Amino acid sequence: MTAADLGAAPAGTTGSPAPGARFGPVAWLRWGWRQLTSMRTALVLLFLLALASIPGSVLPQEGIDPAAVTQYYTSHPTLAPILARLSGFDVFGAPWFAAIYLLLFTSLAGCVLPRAFRLARSSRQPPPKAPRNLRRLPQATSFRAAGSAEETLAGATAMLRQRRFRLRTGDGWVSAEKGYLHEVGNLLFHIALLCLLASVALGGLFGYKANKLLVAGNGFADTPPALDVFHPGRLVTASDLAPFSITMTHFSASYITSGTQRGEPASFNAYVKYSSQYDGPTRAYNLRVNHPLNVDGVQVFLIGHGYAPIFKVTDGTGHVVFDQPVPFIPVEQSGLTSDGVIKVPDANPQQLGFSGEFLPTAYETVTGSVSSAFPATDLPRVILVSYQGNLGMNSGTPQSIYSLDTSQMRRIDITPKLLAPGQTMVLPHGLGKVTFVGIRQWASLAITYDPGQFPALASAIAALAGLIMSFLVRRRRIFVRVAAADDGAAVLELGGLTRSDAAGGFETEFAELAVEFKRELGGSAELGGPAERTEPEQSRTPSEPARPEPAQPGLARPEPAQPDEPEALSADGIALAQSAQSKGE
Amino acid sequence: MVNTALAQVSNAALVSAIMLYGFAMLAYACDFLYNRRQVPAAAPAEPARAKVATAALVGAGAGGADPDQAERNFGADPADASQLADLSQSSSGPAGPAGALPSRWPSGSWLRTAFVLTCLGLLIHATAIVTRGLAENRFPWGNMYEFISAITCAAVLFLTVAAIRFRAYYMGLFVLLPVVIALVVDVVVIYTPAGAVAPALNSYWIAIHVTGMIIAIGMYIFGAVVTVLYLLAARHERRVAAGQDSAVAGIMAQLPSAAKLDQLAYRAILFAFPAWTFAVIAGAIWADHAWGRYWGWDPKETWSFITWVVYAAFLHARATAGWRGRRAAYIQLFGFACLMFNLVGVNLWITGLHSYAGLT
Ligand code: HEM
Repeated sequence: MTAADLGAAPAGTTGSPAPGARFGPVAWLRWGWRQLTSMRTALVLLFLLALASIPGSVLPQEGIDPAAVTQYYTSHPTLAPILARLSGFDVFGAPWFAAIYLLLFTSLAGCVLPRAFRLARSSRQPPPKAPRNLRRLPQATSFRAAGSAEETLAGATAMLRQRRFRLRTGDGWVSAEKGYLHEVGNLLFHIALLCLLASVALGGLFGYKANKLLVAGNGFADTPPALDVFHPGRLVTASDLAPFSITMTHFSASYITSGTQRGEPASFNAYVKYSSQYDGPTRAYNLRVNHPLNVDGVQVFLIGHGYAPIFKVTDGTGHVVFDQPVPFIPVEQSGLTSDGVIKVPDANPQQLGFSGEFLPTAYETVTGSVSSAFPATDLPRVILVSYQGNLGMNSGTPQSIYSLDTSQMRRIDITPKLLAPGQTMVLPHGLGKVTFVGIRQWASLAITYDPGQFPALASAIAALAGLIMSFLVRRRRIFVRVAAADDGAAVLELGGLTRSDAAGGFETEFAELAVEFKRELGGSAELGGPAERTEPEQSRTPSEPARPEPAQPGLARPEPAQPDEPEALSADGIALAQSAQSKGE
Repeated sequence: MVNTALAQVSNAALVSAIMLYGFAMLAYACDFLYNRRQVPAAAPAEPARAKVATAALVGAGAGGADPDQAERNFGADPADASQLADLSQSSSGPAGPAGALPSRWPSGSWLRTAFVLTCLGLLIHATAIVTRGLAENRFPWGNMYEFISAITCAAVLFLTVAAIRFRAYYMGLFVLLPVVIALVVDVVVIYTPAGAVAPALNSYWIAIHVTGMIIAIGMYIFGAVVTVLYLLAARHERRVAAGQDSAVAGIMAQLPSAAKLDQLAYRAILFAFPAWTFAVIAGAIWADHAWGRYWGWDPKETWSFITWVVYAAFLHARATAGWRGRRAAYIQLFGFACLMFNLVGVNLWITGLHSYAGLT
């Protein structure tokens, strides 16, 4: 019987409760729990988790690109509401997604915690006794020793101790075990995953995210009304926000001016002044991409930029009713052509509205249309379409500042033309005039606070460390028996067994160990190798090598009797020893 | 900013590397065709060392006809393997002097030629990457063209390491085939002239993150190729055991047993998976620096996650009764498909913050 045969025993964890017996709810619960914490369930749940993530990458997601979701509603009017009901636009916050990962992590906890206890217990126990017949182990060899039986055994013990094996000695034998770190690493990995999930949850409950578009020269305080977008964690209230304020004094962008990448951005710098208290001292910071500002644990990132042309509007009564920069949103990146709207609700006799296009480096194409050739303001021009009427701003429904509702407005009949900074367009019928005063730049800032960030990083690093540890270390046992041969000389038998060695390598380690043992303790006779052993082929059926699953007989990896219980090694070892004895006698 | 002369050197070097790989493939194929090794019958009671040497000597010879024999030749059998099996698994291990270990180096003139060409190709390929980086004055993995060049280079690097370390010279042809196809597509279709990268990509985290990805993907490629061979070998062995003929017997004769291939593939994943885990963590740190969140379910991130989970499922399958072997192999290939989709599909069809393929 080989170790592999032993391992082939059915696991017993997946069958239904024993047939015939009466089963109360407690037994069913226990059965259900065993099912949930079985390796097979973990496998299925991992698969489900992967599959469930796919729609999150295919469908537009509310949390990533709300505009794309809106777009999806227009292009798929019947499908979109159904998908929305199924949380298709918020896959990673969907109840069914949560159900999968919560089940998986319950399974994980139910699987890993008992294993951790078992490991703790077994690490305090000595290795099992050496089997009677070491030749039946997956790795075995023997040779005649130079010294007496006692000397040889003492020498072997010393060598194993020197190699930092845990030892157990008996009459004529030593068992040695090493490699607990394999299991420790595996447990560390799985427990770190639990911690990672907890860290993410921590961020989701107590963290927040916000966006702010800030025009150069302006400032804001970190309060919900001042922010454009505010996504608080579930347990965050307005008073939890860090009381800092930021002013952007200047923004500069530079672009590649030649070559095939002409027009692509080279650098962005937002020069800000900030203070961590409302009226505290201010400090300066150069905010760049990849160089966030950190104020008391809250991070501020530069995530976008654009132009804000300044307009001055004088209405029909001669009053200046509008004089401020208006952020325009880039609609293309190579020339940074940007669109925006100006709303002048205070204009008399009628409200005025303009929808505009800003061209940083304007040029006329052969077809006569205008376009922007470069993202920097080399030849800045703005072109405005003018409307009069009711802006609809008092209708109660909130309006976007980036779109003009022209349903109650009439287009003013004046041909749009390119305005250079300083130029004015006079509206007909005494409606007033609009001046393109100049240009400022704006930066879009992301403000995030995530208390789970550091724990998440620590967990991830722990998981990686555990993973590497479990992959590098294999748990193995070495057994030595010294007996007297017929002629009185001592014969040393060496046997080895491993369990976590699917990738191989134990054979080599064992062979090297055997060579060293022989060198230190061996007599003149030849090193007995595998050929001296009983041929395991005898115990193999001829069809075995052709099995679809890798039989891996030479890898000496006893297939785990219960894959859910890596601790089965000790059981294996002992069972192996006993079966070897019963067969050998 | 860009040193165009150096960039041209890089382009020329890459084309030369492709040609060298192509010649190496030819030589590997010739080795398979013309370098059949003799198979003396292994005497059952031979002393161990002689037997190991024999095992090495027989190489892949008659394995195809008799799976049991193949098993023995490659030392996957406990009877033969226990001592030095790890050292005798090559399809081409030469017979050293009796009693000595088989050499790590390739035997036979075709195989030696093939391997030398592979190493030369690898050197020139690395030169192409280094000169490109020098020409651009940055890490040369900022767009799809550079990225494909880098991951194929990593795959060939791992091929040579595995060849020497595990005597897996038989992998040469099979790994170089996809590498050459990918590089030809890279040079002909995807080519992007040397240039700077967007400010968001200009961070030392990109170097760490993308380097990790490249190492992991290179090894995943190697693992996937071995796994395909494993599936073929397992099928072949099943058919032979069932007394049917096998269409791939000729090739199988040159390859180790399915069990050995499975082990090699598993080794590849044991290396690639932690590397991938590391790269994903580094990516999260980079995302945090650049965008203010370490994980945002951007399509690229989502697919990295899917890939990671599927490979974790593979590792689990390897430890789950009834899932080892073929099923686990399919899971691994599914993971690889996810990886490739992340590389190609997401860049082409799904837009997100990461879409820096330079293909628009
Ligand atoms: C979040 C879900 C999970 C992930 C991502 C995961 C991932 C992994 C990975 C990558 C390995 C190989 C690394 C190593 O051996 O240390 C592994 C091994 C293992 N996992 Fe999990 N796991 C998860 C959940 C579970 C659950 C629920 C169980 C319990 C049923 C479990 C039990 C095991 C066992 C026993 C091994 C060792 C397998 C062997 O001996 O090779 N894992 N897991």
